[in-house]
Amino acid sequence: MTPAGSLLAARDLRKAYGRTSALDGVDFSVHPGEVVAVMGPSGSGKSTLLHCLAGIVRPDSGTVHYDGHVLTAESDARRSALRRRDFGFVFQFGQLVPELTCLENVALPLRLNGAKRRAAEATAREWLGRLEVDDVHGKRPGEISGGQGQRVAVARALAVRPRVLFADEPTGALDSLNGERVMTLLTDAARDTRAAVVLVTHEPRVAAYADREVVVRDGTARELAGTA
Amino acid sequence: MTLLDTRGTGNRAGGPPHRPPGGPAGWLRDLALGARFAVTGGREGWFRTALSAVGVGIGVAVLLLAASAPTLLNAWHGREKARENLGQLHEPRASDRTLRYAQADTSFHGDAVRGRLVRPDGAHPPVPPGLRRLPGPGEMVVSPALRDLLAEPGSGPLRDRLDYKVVGTIGDSGLLGPQELTFVAGMDDRSAGESYRIDRFGKTFDPQPPSARLVLLIVLACVVLLMPVMVFVGTAVRFGSDRREARLAALRLVGADIPTTRRIAAGEAVVGAGLGLAVGLLIFLVGRQAAGAVTLWDVNVFPADVLPAPALAALIAVLVPAVAVGVTLFAQRSVTAEPLGVVREAPVRRRRIVWRLVLPLTGLALLSSLVWEPDPVWFRAVRLGVGSALLLLGITALLPWLVEAVVRRLHGGPVPWQLAVRRLQLSGAAANRAVSGITVAVAGAIALHMVFTTFQAGFAEAYAKSAARPVIELSGSAADAQRTRDALATLRRTPGVTWAHGTIDALAGRAGDRGTRGADGHLSADSATVVVGDCAELRHRAPIGSCRDGDVFVTEPRNGTGRAPGSVRPGARLNLNPPDGYGEAGPARPWTVPDSARRVTAVRHPGEDLPGDVLATPGALSPALLRAPEMKLRVGYDKAQETAAVERIRTAAFHANPGMRELSAIDNPHDRQYAGVRTAVYVGAVVVLLLIGAGLIVSTVEQLRERRRLLSVLNAYGTRRSTMGWSILWQTAIPVVLGLALAVTAGVGLGTVLLTTTETGVRVDWPVVASVTGLGAGVILLVTALSLPPLWRMMRPDGLRTE
Repeated sequence: MTPAGSLLAARDLRKAYGRTSALDGVDFSVHPGEVVAVMGPSGSGKSTLLHCLAGIVRPDSGTVHYDGHVLTAESDARRSALRRRDFGFVFQFGQLVPELTCLENVALPLRLNGAKRRAAEATAREWLGRLEVDDVHGKRPGEISGGQGQRVAVARALAVRPRVLFADEPTGALDSLNGERVMTLLTDAARDTRAAVVLVTHEPRVAAYADREVVVRDGTARELAGTA
Repeated sequence: MTLLDTRGTGNRAGGPPHRPPGGPAGWLRDLALGARFAVTGGREGWFRTALSAVGVGIGVAVLLLAASAPTLLNAWHGREKARENLGQLHEPRASDRTLRYAQADTSFHGDAVRGRLVRPDGAHPPVPPGLRRLPGPGEMVVSPALRDLLAEPGSGPLRDRLDYKVVGTIGDSGLLGPQELTFVAGMDDRSAGESYRIDRFGKTFDPQPPSARLVLLIVLACVVLLMPVMVFVGTAVRFGSDRREARLAALRLVGADIPTTRRIAAGEAVVGAGLGLAVGLLIFLVGRQAAGAVTLWDVNVFPADVLPAPALAALIAVLVPAVAVGVTLFAQRSVTAEPLGVVREAPVRRRRIVWRLVLPLTGLALLSSLVWEPDPVWFRAVRLGVGSALLLLGITALLPWLVEAVVRRLHGGPVPWQLAVRRLQLSGAAANRAVSGITVAVAGAIALHMVFTTFQAGFAEAYAKSAARPVIELSGSAADAQRTRDALATLRRTPGVTWAHGTIDALAGRAGDRGTRGADGHLSADSATVVVGDCAELRHRAPIGSCRDGDVFVTEPRNGTGRAPGSVRPGARLNLNPPDGYGEAGPARPWTVPDSARRVTAVRHPGEDLPGDVLATPGALSPALLRAPEMKLRVGYDKAQETAAVERIRTAAFHANPGMRELSAIDNPHDRQYAGVRTAVYVGAVVVLLLIGAGLIVSTVEQLRERRRLLSVLNAYGTRRSTMGWSILWQTAIPVVLGLALAVTAGVGLGTVLLTTTETGVRVDWPVVASVTGLGAGVILLVTALSLPPLWRMMRPDGLRTE
């Protein structure tokens, strides 16, 4: 059973790396248009939870339901297709292809979904504008600042109009001013498109942008009181 | 300062900091640290070092082989010199220590068999190297290879021919190589006319200046084989340079200065080169054991003879590590390892073609000038070598420009293509480096193949023309007319023979002409050819009409058939012992052409000798009066049973006179010679291509490793594995295809220029061009296929974990 109205839900997720247990019976759910922050100290298993929810990593046991599908039962190819089509990702660093321009980077997931180059780049240009980095469209990632790069990454994640956006420490490599700007743009854009956001962070200031907070500690998750 | 000097960094006692040791001791410590890095990188580090070592090792092995050429040639010629005597200027008188000596070479199914006949004059004759004693009449000693050949079931005709009793085996000192087919047999009366007296073995070695073709092939082979080796050595020492630079940046973070990092890099390069030297020596030592089994261009040598000249070996031992260090430091000239990463100092500038054209155009100019300037052989060789080297080196300079110019113009396309093109636009240097080796190797191989194919085809055409008429021409000494008649009778009885003709030919001079001595000391006189034979045989030389024993004829050639009309007239006085040779002229032996001699018209048939100036029957002129009379036999055979008939004719001729020489071109030895060399060149090109493929795999895997996190991110986005696989394929294919296109153009161009210099028709070996190009395509697929497993591994989500 999944919580009523949830878009993405996990039940009794367990995952170990060798003898180290990363997830030990985690339940989780997120609704369309909802921003959920997953918090916890380093090594608590929050990134592993994100990877399991996104179908990047298969849990040892437990199930992940997405929009009526049992994600954990799907083949690798099906999960990859789902990630291309329905999910978006923002990571802390090292996510932009260094050889491609910012415009090409944003257009990349659209092209991987089969869009024509011109159409993909038109959409990418629009998203760069929305994230206020249209002036760097012709530059390569190595030629722009960290804040600009992260905004390009957010634009890339949102360009496919994902139903779920996974963000893993999206501001971890930015100063507070840039971090806040990125978070504002990310959450505003997600809410505009009614995308659910799973936001992994260890910073309460970042978590404050979420509608709800879940704390992961020693492989177990619990809802933070008062945020639901 | 030097790196990681613990004395320098420690100041725990609160005293003044230790001064870091500098100078040679410190430098040595840095070099040693670099050396340690080369062997302590775990499995992957070892793989990189091993690949460098194998790459350098193969180069070293080839260099050691090249360095063995002088020793090898000396040993080869030394053996030939020690066992031979082509005749002494002043023939010694018969004594207890002399012998009569004659050549009795033959061939069997295209394999040359060297034969020598001996007959001692006394009890203590000289013995050639490799023999304990001289064989007696009816006996022979044979080389191990000939012994094995005679024992083979299909060698019946050869056993019939060499029907001597085998009484021993020739030792190594009497052989040029272990595969040589040779025998020394006791002489009987049949060869007496061919023989000469000697009192020692060992000739003055007086090599002929090599032909222009041979010089071309030798110089070209050296340049073409060594150029890719040098380029590859340069590439091999840079395997893993990205990882090395990252490591140097890490060392900068802990306090190493830039000169220190360069010394460490040099230390690392020296280890790779040192291991390469060891691997090269090993490959060389193992490889030379196989030297005895290889026959290239009819040259077969003993493994012990393949020994590098000490000075050249020492030069290689010094040069290879020096090149390794030089290349490493040169590569770092535009790179500075900074504490937070590697900084590439060279500004991104568009490569210019102008200076890149200088090398190949200079090479082309040097080669082209060979066409019309007749120079001494050595000067041609130098220009040939330098021109070929510049042209091939020029390709390596042109390739980066070509790749950059083409890649810069590539836009759009599917995602894998776009990723590959962008990657090459940003940093195609590593791929260019590796592909340069392919380009030089392929261009060289194509040029060599073109030259060999054209020469081989030329010989094949000549032999095909020669063998079109089923005729063998034979020549041997003729003491008297009866012996010629007997030889003809024997040949006519031989199965497969359709006809046989023969005469006795000799030279005669003008009476009173004492001859003139040339600059080389050779004495010669204006001569006429005298032909002695029965009427039936003379009719095959000229339409003499009626004839009986005692008749003489003089020929009047038609235009273009030989001597000027009326050169020998009836009544002319000739000297049958004309001055000819290096010694003094012998006593004149006058003979007058009878006034009754009839004039006949000479007819020269295609492919036949001139008919002769004077045709005489034995009744008119005894062959015993002639100087060095030679029987000239022409034997026709049934083309349908060519192989068997030819061997039977050779056997019959050998039995008539073991010293009989075959003048016609039935077997084409060049076909096998060239085919062997072409195969060797092809194998060499394949080995270089495979090695370069290995280098490309290393560089691709290194790039993937650097992008581990990015690959994981792309996987998270749902990027198909095939998308990334195709991207790698295009990333390898674009420079390789461009390199091969350049190589084919340069190879065909070089081959064309070289063939034009020798005034030989140009013939492109398209199958080889296609197969080498196909091999290049194979390398692309191989590199891609072997890069896929690490790619899949690095696309796993592990790369996303930061904790």
